[in-house]
Amino acid sequence: MKGFITLALVLASSLFSQIGFAVEQAQEIFKQLAPSLYQIRLIDKASGEKSSIGSGFQISSNGIIATNYHVISGFANHPTKYRIEYLDHQGNKDELILQSVDVINDLALVKRSTKIDMPFFKLAQQIPIKGQELFSLGNPHDLGMIVVPGTYNGLKKESFNDRIHFTGSVNSGMSGGPVVNVQNEVVGINVATSGNQIGFLVPHEKLVALYKSFKLEPPNNIEQQMTEQLSQNQNKLINNLLNSQWKSKILENAIIPAIDVPYIRCWGDSNVDKTDALFFAAVANCSLDENTYLSSTFFTGSIEMEFRYMQAKELNTNKFYRLYEQQIQRAGPSNKAGKEDVSEYQCHHDIVMPSNKEINNKSIFCTRGYKKFPKLFDILFLSASIDKDKQAIVSHFTISGIEQSHALAFTRKFMESVAWK
Amino acid sequence: MEIIIEEISRDHKLISRHRINKDSINIGRGYQNDIILPDPHICPDHLRLAFNGEHWIIEDQGSINGSYLEDGKTSIKNHIINSGDIFSVGKSLIRIVYANHPIDETIRLSTFESLINIMIHPLVLTFSIVLFAFVSGYIFYLNKLTDTTFSQFLIPAIGMTLVFAIWPAIVALTSHFNKHEARIMTQLGISFVFFNLLWISDIIEKIINFNFSSNWPISDLYTLIPIGLAFCLFWLNSYIGFHMGVRRRVIVAAGITVLFFGGSYLVKITNKPEFSARPHYNATIMTPNFMFLPSSDVDEFILNSEKLFTKVNKEIAKEKEKGEGE
Repeated sequence: MKGFITLALVLASSLFSQIGFAVEQAQEIFKQLAPSLYQIRLIDKASGEKSSIGSGFQISSNGIIATNYHVISGFANHPTKYRIEYLDHQGNKDELILQSVDVINDLALVKRSTKIDMPFFKLAQQIPIKGQELFSLGNPHDLGMIVVPGTYNGLKKESFNDRIHFTGSVNSGMSGGPVVNVQNEVVGINVATSGNQIGFLVPHEKLVALYKSFKLEPPNNIEQQMTEQLSQNQNKLINNLLNSQWKSKILENAIIPAIDVPYIRCWGDSNVDKTDALFFAAVANCSLDENTYLSSTFFTGSIEMEFRYMQAKELNTNKFYRLYEQQIQRAGPSNKAGKEDVSEYQCHHDIVMPSNKEINNKSIFCTRGYKKFPKLFDILFLSASIDKDKQAIVSHFTISGIEQSHALAFTRKFMESVAWK
Repeated sequence: MEIIIEEISRDHKLISRHRINKDSINIGRGYQNDIILPDPHICPDHLRLAFNGEHWIIEDQGSINGSYLEDGKTSIKNHIINSGDIFSVGKSLIRIVYANHPIDETIRLSTFESLINIMIHPLVLTFSIVLFAFVSGYIFYLNKLTDTTFSQFLIPAIGMTLVFAIWPAIVALTSHFNKHEARIMTQLGISFVFFNLLWISDIIEKIINFNFSSNWPISDLYTLIPIGLAFCLFWLNSYIGFHMGVRRRVIVAAGITVLFFGGSYLVKITNKPEFSARPHYNATIMTPNFMFLPSSDVDEFILNSEKLFTKVNKEIAKEKEKGEGE
């Protein structure tokens, strides 16, 4: 390890930007760090072949390897179907044991067996500065370990759970690989990409926290650990939403809520350009731009709100209401979930007037439960005004992975904050 | 002694009837016979009936194909005729009855008859068909996402009306083929009255779905009304088109209803996916003037929504139990 640092210092001292030099530098970094880098593979037990791959890196001398939760999620969900295996730089393979996960930050700790103290990656002490050069390591598309130079661009704006914005290509298969600074210290973990040189990393302090709590007390049961993490994160999110200021916003002739938090972002659209449309429609859509990966068919943690204002042009009331009715028939969940993950939806509908007496709505509340994580539910709510002949406002939200009391509190607040101007 | 000889079809429908007051009767294909049957499988002198002072005796005259009691196996010889006996000769059937043969009781003309007469009055008939066409056209107009001209919904209106006229036409044709009067106008009249009643029941169902919350199971019960209406229509169809007993008519009407609704229900449940990720909710809305009930408040709505969580948890627990049981 001392060798690494000396070399890194040498490299750092000569870090003056010349592209050719940067490539050379990257090669050097790779050579030094290669023994602690792994390809993490999920092996399907029945066929004996790998079913998914990712990257991982060793963070302790006794064989603890960090990777992404989504790399090993198959094993976490179906421990009898898969086993986890590593492939090191010399081509050695062996089984890994899942130790701990952080589903919210998409991290997992696995352990390889070792008889000797092994070299490992050092986690950085402080966060990088904007513009600092970083090196992302990993094994994209099973092509072999590579190193990608890039730039630290601060934390992703408007996100509830922090992610580092890394300008450099992070490709599939590099997930779980480390991103190091010139001192060879890990500052982030590859997790996602938006394509075109925009990559996202999990900040290293999340890994530090996970490793610390693991050393303190390893979890007994991964599923229980996941339940706690999901509940805790969603409670934090909903409490934050409920305690933030709900401002009133005007959407044509209606008043709709706007929650004053940076991580909920809104988009809008209208059909003014379509001159042959029979009614005018304006839509405002606000959502949380992140969700939690549980398996390739199951996501949670999403929040979405939609407000649709409609006004009849030269249309009689009956026809307007018929077309309006068609608009609200097919609301669906915003998160992906399958039969093994959730129950089917149960719904309640009624005509409801909020206490402001300013509007009368047909309101629909639907919920489905999580099979593996008791006390967590998905909610779908839709309300359609029915008190104006030629105008209508639809207010709608979906929240996934929420507890009952929070769901009802949010619904109540949402229902009370939509009205006519 | 007087005797009645009926020529009947294979399903026992009357073809011709002869009342003869002689003590000896010859039946065959030859023109010398008292009763001439044109069936080529019958011999010129095929059968002879004779009264011996006490009984009528029937005797085959040594025909090629023989004569049999309807379900008998051996050709008849000196058979004593019982009133109502059916004999098969060649490929034809004859039935012999005496004048004192018992007959069914007179069926009273149903009170429906006067109702049916109203329905087939030309004005009423025209009105119900036009009303049906108008409603079809109006529904087409309501569902169309773009502006429509009058002629654009005239075509679907007429088309729908023609399609729905197929049902009374089929019933009339079937009764015609069964040697009954076709009565096509009557079938048309009652069918379109019922089709219009089905529209009305649709509107009532919509009003109920719009006004009542999901706490009222009434909307589920309401699906019985169109089934009841369809049963009444089929019952009337068979009342007009076919002469059958009360019990048989109920069975036929119920049978068609079950075939119709049971079939569509079967199609529905076979097409239902094993798991649906989308919620199935009732989002019926109507214009404000159809709202009759006072609105609930948010507290009540939240309270009712809260019950869904218990329901969902129960469902998951039940499924788990089932999973562990396997």
